[in-house]
Parts: sequence; C-alpha cells; structure tokens
Amino acid sequence: MSEQVTTPRRRRSRSDAKTAVLFLIPLLVVYAVYYVYSIVFLAQTSTERVGIALLRPIQVGFTNFINLFQDDVFLRSILNNLVFAAASIGASLTVAFFISVALSAGVKMRKLFYLLFLLPALTPLALVATIFGSMLQEQYGAVNETLRAVGLGGLAQAWLTSPVWAYTAVILIFCYLIGLPIMYYTADLAALPTSALEAALIDGAGTFRIMGSIVYPMMRSTHITVILSLLLGSFRALEQVLFSTHGGPGTTTQIVGTYLYGYVNSGGKTIGYAAAASIVVLLIALAISIVQMVITRKASR
Amino acid sequence: MSVTELPRTDPVRTEAPAAPPRTPRKRPSTDDNPMRILITRPRDRVIIYALLGLMGIVFAFPLYAAVKKSFDGAGLGNYVTLFTQPIGDVSLPMTYVNSFVLGALHALIVVSVSVLAGYALSQLHFRGREILFAAILLFLAVPGTALIIPIFHITNEMGLFNNFLGVALPEAALTIPFGVLLMRNYGSNISESLIEAATLDGAGHFRVFWHVFLPLAKPAIANLVVLCFIWSLQDFLWPSMLFSDPHMATAAQAVSSFSNVLGRTTEEFGRYNASLVLLAVPAVLFVVFGLRFIVNGLTSGSTKD
Repeated sequence: MSEQVTTPRRRRSRSDAKTAVLFLIPLLVVYAVYYVYSIVFLAQTSTERVGIALLRPIQVGFTNFINLFQDDVFLRSILNNLVFAAASIGASLTVAFFISVALSAGVKMRKLFYLLFLLPALTPLALVATIFGSMLQEQYGAVNETLRAVGLGGLAQAWLTSPVWAYTAVILIFCYLIGLPIMYYTADLAALPTSALEAALIDGAGTFRIMGSIVYPMMRSTHITVILSLLLGSFRALEQVLFSTHGGPGTTTQIVGTYLYGYVNSGGKTIGYAAAASIVVLLIALAISIVQMVITRKASR
Repeated sequence: MSVTELPRTDPVRTEAPAAPPRTPRKRPSTDDNPMRILITRPRDRVIIYALLGLMGIVFAFPLYAAVKKSFDGAGLGNYVTLFTQPIGDVSLPMTYVNSFVLGALHALIVVSVSVLAGYALSQLHFRGREILFAAILLFLAVPGTALIIPIFHITNEMGLFNNFLGVALPEAALTIPFGVLLMRNYGSNISESLIEAATLDGAGHFRVFWHVFLPLAKPAIANLVVLCFIWSLQDFLWPSMLFSDPHMATAAQAVSSFSNVLGRTTEEFGRYNASLVLLAVPAVLFVVFGLRFIVNGLTSGSTKD
C-alpha cells in the first residue's frame, strides 16, 4: 500500500493533500484538544507544586519525578501491574488458547460456550469486580456460604482483608477477563492452513498432540498480539481493582490505574505530583505501543 | 508464518456483510473451519467436553452467585422495589436511559470522525500518509487514567460538567484511534477500481465518499457502533469524574453509588445483588444480540496494516 504514495499513478494525486486535510480536520481537532493539549498540560503541571484549582503554582523542576521514584506505593503499583498482566497472559496462553481451539473444533453448543467465556470481558468491569468482591465477602459472600454448606466452614476466611488472598482474588479477576484473547485466537484459527494438520492426522497424532506441538507454535504471532495487548490492557485497568479490593488491604493490590484515580479523587492537593505520575504511565504505555508496532510491522513483512 | 498477520481481515470482512439479524440456528459456521478435523478419537472428544464444561462452570459461577444472592431477603420483591423506588437519589431505569444516550453520542462522534479519517487514510494519496497513520495509532495505548487531570481541566474550561457531551467527548477521544484503525483497515480492502471508476466519472472526493465509500463501509460502521455502545456501557471512569448529578448516573457508575447506599444486612445484601444483576442487563443484551459485530470489530481492529 505504502508504495503508492511515491508512485503517483493517479492524475489527481496532487490535489489529494488538500482534500485529505479537509477529511482529517475533525480528527485533528480531537487530537489537538484531548491528546496534544492534555500532554502539554500534564508536562507543565508535572514541574509544579499546585492543587487542583491550579492557583499559585510553584515551580519545583523535577522534584515531583524524583519523589515519585522514591514513592514505594507508586513503584509497587507498577510492579503489581506487571504481575497482574503476567497472570492474565499466563491464563490466555493456556486456558484461552485451549478454549479457542476446542470451540473451533466443532463442539456442540459452541455459541453458548463462546458467549459464556466472552461475556465477563464485555460487561461493565465495575460489575464483574463488584460481584467478585461480594462473593468473597466474609459474612454473606457466596464463597464462604458454599464452604459452610459443604462442611468446610473452617476454611471460610476474611478473604479481602488478608493480603495474600486479596492479591490472589485480583489475579483471578484478571484471569477471568480473557475474552479478547479468545477472540484473537478464534479469528486466527479460522485462517490456519489445514495441510499441516492433515499431515499430523495421517501420522496418527491425537488431538492434544496436534494442539500442543503443531497448532500452538503456528499461532506464534497471535501469542505476541495477545501478550502485548494484555500488557497494555493492564495499564488501562482500573475497575478490576477499585471495585474488588479498593487497592487494599493497605496498598497491597494497588495498580497504576487506582493509584492515579485515588490521587485525583483524594482532595487533589498535589496535582503536580499526580501529573508527574501520569506522565510516567503515559511513557510506559507508549513504549509498549511502539514495541507492538515494530513487531507487527516486522511480522507482516 | 509471516503472512498470518495479513489474512486476519479476510474471514472477518467476508463474514461482516452477511450478517442478517436472524441467522438460522443450524448455520454451518464451522464447516469451513480447518480445526474441525482435529477431534478424531472419541476419547479426546470426551476429554474436551469435560474440560470445557468444567471451565464453563467456573466462568458461570460469579453470575450464578449474584443471581442466587439477589433473591435473599424479599425474594423477587428485591427486583420490584428497585424499579419502583430510587436507591439513594439514583433511579435504576434512568441509568439505562443515561447509558443509552451516552452510548449514542459516543458512537456518533467516533463514527463521524473515524469514517472521514478512514477515507483519507485509505483512499487519498498524499505524502506522509503512513507516518500520520502510525502516529494516530500510537494513541491506541493511552490509558484513560493518565489523562484524568487534563481532561478534568478541559471539561471545566468548556463548561461541560454534568453534560452528556462532556463525557462522550473524552470517551470518543480514547476510542477514535481504534475507530480510525478499523475504518482504514476496512477502507484498504475496498477495491480501488470502484473508487477510481467513480473518480474518473468526474465525481469529486466528497461525492465518492458519500455515494461509494460510505455505503460500502456500512458493515464496518455497524461493528464500530456496537463497540461504542459496549464501551460506553463499560465506562466507569469518565462518568464518575465528570458527572456529579445523580440523575445522570450511568449503569456502570451506579454500581458504586448502590454499594454505598445499600448496606450490609442480609436483606439489603440481597437487594444489592439484585441491583447488580439488573445493571448488567443492558450489556448482556448487547453482547447476546451484537456478539457478531463485537467479535468482527475487535478482531479486524487487531490487525495492524
């Protein structure tokens, strides 16, 4: 496609630039306000000590950034983001992959299963996380009630106030939301060349052998798409934690999203500091995005 | 291996136009699927069904738990009172209306901006087009939470607090990179000769856009519209930051106001769960009836270039 830019085989190609600007004006306006202005605003605010009313800012240079990198809660948030992303990646490369292959292999009630596995990721995440939280609630939660009902009441816990269990709960929520990877795998499986599968079938390999040693490696580029999109997704996450553990107990399950959200909503006295944190998060996300572009570009060559 | 990225749009695109609202139940959707030959031994079939069933139970458990809990206390009455009396100041049926209005505005902005840009980036030839496209896509990655501070400020400057447009605009700004990706990918697959023929007939770009491109792009637009509704329904961040009026609360936002109001007695806990089930209803309906659009949109969007 890109070659056509340099070979003007169309007579009207000179006038296209002007027309293109007209078609792109709405986009450019939105980008100018919500991205360019936003980022300039953040960059400027990040060097100031200022409250949310933006009155009487004091220039503090890079102090906010220096403090940020000594802020244990912020660093822990970034680490948690990576851990939760890793958990969802793990679940996707195994469970989501298996589900997609199984559903593509012509099982009955395919549509029902598909709906069941995709639904959590497509409903409001605030609801999903709240339901997880309420299931784990100590007195009336479904998990403890089920445990008591089957005579395992001794195992009932205050799940959300124990750091280890709260952390596990968030990991489970992230593993539960694997709808997007299932869609990616399913779409790519439909375009898989059959010849390799047929050869393996003639060799007498069973379903799981073929799944593991033939289909799995063939989906390499999908694995990469899945890994990068989940990594990016974790930096966009908010409700998963906000509505289940609120980042707690203490700051155990805090992620970047809840960190920023909490800062702005807690009176907003130190907006300059939160702006610096926003800049760092933006840079991380853009870096992942660039990696993603480079890899996809290479893959499509 | 290197070609697996490109054909991804093909199954998606060819399926998209053939999406009648009612497909017969026994649509042979997997007949053209190579994976169908995978299960040969009966034993493997049993294991696959067992594993799928097990995972299905695990995935359905939260839904089951919420529905079961929702009858605690007053039973079905939990649901009835949610419709008849507001919770705090928030009326549950009103959250449906609010979410719908927001979704419609969000979709309108995203579609108009993305279709125009998609035409320019797929059908017009100008210098720096590919670089511009890459620069636009870079913002796919932006996390909404990182823009809270400036968008709070921008919304304040524009006087758009407690205004549907005030929330639809930031939502749209964050969706537009995806919308452009979708429309441009779709546009690149439209046969150039069609557009070229129209241009040679003397039609200007605006007429070609309106009479040729737009009708051809309908399936992609449908996907994008459904996705915009889903994302508006899911969005908690912007309504919670920019709406303070309880009468404007959206379904996702109501989750937090309900949890504040409905206390923790057994009876209230049942009612609280009933409210959660009801808040999920619009999204579930959208997913059940729009799954095809959602899947097509998301998977064709994942293909870059």
